[in-house]
Amino acid sequence: MEHKGEEHLRLLQLQFVGKILAGFTHEIKNYIAIIKESAGLMEDMVKLDKGQKGKPEQYLEIIRSIEEQIQKTNDLFRYLNRFAHRMDHEFSAFNINESLEELFALIQRVANQKRITLKKDFQREIPSFHGNPSIFQLVIFSFLEEKMTNLDKNSIITVKIGAKGNSIGVSISSEGVLKGEQDVQAMIPPEMRMFALEKLKGTVSESNGIIDVTLPLSR
Amino acid sequence: MPQTKILLVDDEIEFASALAERLQLRNYEVRTAHKALEALAIIHDFLPDVVVLDLKIPGMDGIETLKTIKKIDPTIEVIMLTGHGDRWSVEAGMKSGAFEYIMKPVEIGELTAKIDKAMKQRLTERT
Repeated sequence: MEHKGEEHLRLLQLQFVGKILAGFTHEIKNYIAIIKESAGLMEDMVKLDKGQKGKPEQYLEIIRSIEEQIQKTNDLFRYLNRFAHRMDHEFSAFNINESLEELFALIQRVANQKRITLKKDFQREIPSFHGNPSIFQLVIFSFLEEKMTNLDKNSIITVKIGAKGNSIGVSISSEGVLKGEQDVQAMIPPEMRMFALEKLKGTVSESNGIIDVTLPLSR
Repeated sequence: MPQTKILLVDDEIEFASALAERLQLRNYEVRTAHKALEALAIIHDFLPDVVVLDLKIPGMDGIETLKTIKKIDPTIEVIMLTGHGDRWSVEAGMKSGAFEYIMKPVEIGELTAKIDKAMKQRLTERT
């Protein structure tokens, strides 16, 4: 049973990585498309416009737009690189705020597309958590994905992080209207989510739609 | 051939405005929209010949938007803008009456060739 659970968890982790990569490549493709059109527009202004519109300030504006897209591309690559390295060790000390900031950046496009706002309310200077960073991200992603699937557009999902005594709490709440048709096919079945959470020695409770994940600091 | 009126629908504002300007420099009349409902409102007012539609726009599913456009005027030709992983959406779009599709990043020559072909089709359908 334990072995089957491990196998299933590995499969879910692969699906999770696949979803993150799909969102990432889509976003990068968009940035490249903007850079390509901006460069193409400058070329057109030189070749086709015959100097009628191509004023220096217009070129500078386009160059600024290209630089901005390059910066966004670079930031997203940095987040993906950090995300990939979460899988280097099964057990390590990591900063929960950084880990969720990275997850937020990587799933932002999906949220935008569903017109759902992701809000962060992270306590500063949170102690490091010892556990499996990749599994932690998978667990939180599963809650976020479920909420993003079931909430209607213009909803808000807030993730709050705070230290409570000898533990760290991650609370996920939402404001908005639930869709008429609920998608019960969450990526992670509840029993597997519990299996993953047990690996972090964590617990979860839910009350009035607010999910509270508690992770112990002492081992 | 009369000047082709194009509605370009994409939620990436910088992408849409740069591409719109490139098309204008090639003598097309272009309007842009960044959301599905905005696009549908512009269609009633602007009466485009061709809609270049990103399938991942916020507010309404891209295929639903396409179907609504075809209901408003079946002779408006729709060219879908897609990413690489959108094979299923492309198939669904073609079944729902899209004229063509083009992948991002866009080759301007390929896009204008498809727009011109779509315009010819529209003129044929209307006569």
